[in-house]
Amino acid sequence: MAELLRMENISKCFGSFYANRDINLEVEKGEVHTLLGENGAGKSTLMNVLIGLYQPTEGKIFMHGKEVQITSPGVAVQHGIGMVHQHFMLIDDMTGLENIILGDKRHSSPLLQEADDHAKIKELMDRYGLGIDLNERVADMSIGMQQRVEIMKVLFRGADLLVLDEPTAVLTDLEVEGLFDIMHSLTDEGKSLIFISHKMREVMKISDRVTVLRRGKSVETVRVSDTTEQELADLMIGQKFTENTYQKVEAAEKVAFELKEVSYHPSIKHGGLKDVSLAIHKGEIFGVAGIDGNGQTPLAELVTGLIKPESGEVIGPDGSKIALFSPSSFIDAGLGNIPEDRNKMGLVGDMTVAENLILKQTKSDRFSFGHGAWLKMSAIEKYANRLKDENDIRCTSVRQTARSLSGGNQQKVILARELDAHPKLLVAVYPTRGLDIGATEFVHNQIVAQRDAGCAILLISADFDEVLKLSDRIAVLFEGQIMGVYPGANPPIKEISLAMAGK
Amino acid sequence: MAKKVLSMEEKNERRFMVLTPVISVLLALIVGAIIIGCLGKNPLVGYSAMLEGSLGSMAKISKTLERACPLVFTGLCAVFAYKCGVFNLGGEGQFIMGGCATAAVILGLGVDGPGALALGLLAGIVAGAIWGLLPGIMKIARGLNEMITTIMLNYVAMYFMEYIFKNAYSDQGLPKTIAIPQSARLPQVLGTHVGVIIAIAFGIFIWYVIFRTSFGFKIRAVGMNPIASRVNGFPVKRLVLLAFIISGAIAGLGGAIELLGKTPFRLADGFGSGFGFDGVAIALIAQLNPIGAIVVALLFGVLSTGGTMMQSVIGVPTAIVDIIRGLIIIFAVAGMASVRLPKIKAFLATWGARTNKAEANA
Repeated sequence: MAELLRMENISKCFGSFYANRDINLEVEKGEVHTLLGENGAGKSTLMNVLIGLYQPTEGKIFMHGKEVQITSPGVAVQHGIGMVHQHFMLIDDMTGLENIILGDKRHSSPLLQEADDHAKIKELMDRYGLGIDLNERVADMSIGMQQRVEIMKVLFRGADLLVLDEPTAVLTDLEVEGLFDIMHSLTDEGKSLIFISHKMREVMKISDRVTVLRRGKSVETVRVSDTTEQELADLMIGQKFTENTYQKVEAAEKVAFELKEVSYHPSIKHGGLKDVSLAIHKGEIFGVAGIDGNGQTPLAELVTGLIKPESGEVIGPDGSKIALFSPSSFIDAGLGNIPEDRNKMGLVGDMTVAENLILKQTKSDRFSFGHGAWLKMSAIEKYANRLKDENDIRCTSVRQTARSLSGGNQQKVILARELDAHPKLLVAVYPTRGLDIGATEFVHNQIVAQRDAGCAILLISADFDEVLKLSDRIAVLFEGQIMGVYPGANPPIKEISLAMAGK
Repeated sequence: MAKKVLSMEEKNERRFMVLTPVISVLLALIVGAIIIGCLGKNPLVGYSAMLEGSLGSMAKISKTLERACPLVFTGLCAVFAYKCGVFNLGGEGQFIMGGCATAAVILGLGVDGPGALALGLLAGIVAGAIWGLLPGIMKIARGLNEMITTIMLNYVAMYFMEYIFKNAYSDQGLPKTIAIPQSARLPQVLGTHVGVIIAIAFGIFIWYVIFRTSFGFKIRAVGMNPIASRVNGFPVKRLVLLAFIISGAIAGLGGAIELLGKTPFRLADGFGSGFGFDGVAIALIAQLNPIGAIVVALLFGVLSTGGTMMQSVIGVPTAIVDIIRGLIIIFAVAGMASVRLPKIKAFLATWGARTNKAEANA
């Protein structure tokens, strides 16, 4: 078959960090080519290079055998490259038709040529079996239908190569079938598709070839007919070093926190939880592994009191059933929380480092007279300076705003605040996201030290290496369900990686 | 308190907190002078007339203070709400409702004496608080944007006041209420009513609440990051609602004091008119600092009372004063925004480093 796209030795660095390194990708005319890789393997960066959002640091891109410079998304469209984003770029209050023709530059006339456009879209719809009610408002459409509008948008602009970024993540099973039908009719007509997905089952079903990315490099390109799910999972995960940096421990008998058949919007696969049961023991790190978007966020919100489960029971550190779901009652019960997004959820960026350190203790007698009527500014500052020194928070003064700190130091502020309260349960969500090696090491050491002091720790992370490194037990979350719980010492990596892919 | 050890960055930040409004005022005065010059008049004579007219004698100073007094309250009303992330534009309505409630309680019950005074002030606070609570409930229960609801409630308040002074407590059918009885008025101190002192003391109190209590701490935290506040266990909705109520109560108290302290001691057309938006402007120019709000309100008082004098001495319309006031707002807001621009930030950093070094060498 004829080659449509070739990306040669693509590298993209951000500072000293290589998000892509010498990646080679070749897409033939009329094939479904899957990009497979863990979070952070470099898929998004590569696609952003392809559609002109990033300029590659090194490497060449060829379309139809000719070298092209894709300097902007507009240029990508000219070369027949279109992207169907995971999060739709549609205007809810406009109709399907309006969204499709939005920003199109085919006509030189300043007036809308709706009749002409309508005819062209009709023709495309018939050819590819895309049934869309063009006059319906996007807001009233189902998710599957909105996706069709997105696909049509790209086709309407004359794309020969469509990038589908995790298109199945938002769909129901039935809608996935429909999408696959559309993908088949697209390839039958000679269009090429780059399909991005984590889901092994779907990848096996729809793809012709698969290119596996790992840590920013292309590992291998294989034909689906010549491989197995197991082989792909191995390629994706790679050789895991389960070096025993930290001693794994056998959990104590005492349960510190327990979920019993907890459900939250169970019908939503990527934003819900279905009959989740797990018990976290005193003095252990309970790791939750899984591909991003499989229920990690609702799980984290549930165990910190931000949302209330629809069914099931939650047993708190004192052994009683929790009735009131609010962050403050969870904090009172002994919860420490290292939230997912430190700037949004962990810190008040415009307040000072000192103020952020006492965020939860403004009413304590330690820092105020009369139950919060008069804050003891000097006591607060002394305390903040102590924590600053103990945790090596690098700032010129604790009166600096938290926003002005580097990411690692911001995370240290949160850690210092949460750990100094001596929590019974510590929930850490992606605790080292975006941190450099030194800060990551510090966070990991602190978490393990906390475990050794008897705290129960729930670690939720999409970084599989991190889960493997720290956890005494590992649970895998897939589409809101716990697929299994595995030992943290000598973990069965193959089994776990398959469970992460839904097997 | 431990001796403040300020970083260079902080020093700069603080310096600009103060410098931005001062420079804005100076620039506005310069542009105002150019406009006066274009009208063929001498701006220096005009400005000195303005100062003379507002601060030239004890009587004039007390007039200026009385003019500034309600603006202190509406300014504080805006400051408090904005600190909690609530964009209360209804200071005027809350101010008017405070005045209405005070009038209704005193005139309706026919009471007088210090008891009536206390009752009137209390009624003003409660009415203002309720007028702040309404948009608060609408925001929390239904997510309505308070910028819209508070403005609309301003009109409701205005027409309600019209009912009060034209129908309910009209003075012999004239479009004004009966005057508040002498004994229920605010006492005079040094030629001004005691409300001015209350206003200033209140501003300091609000500063204390916002910056030195646990409650104010939470209000600020919610204003700057509601999500983090919720994650860290603050009752965000309750705090937002309280901010609405307290902000409304401050304006309501202002309305009561205006009615009980200032001649003609009655409600009539134009009572409180424009005070709400002046309050918003004052809060912004003062960079949401309560003490700063007092200073800016006093400046607005000077501009208002002095403007009339300027008009009579050099014969320029008082609208010049409105222009100057508008320019101060534009420069202050632009100044605050531009300080955040990367290029200006870099320039300020080098400039700051140089002056800091100079200080160190000195």
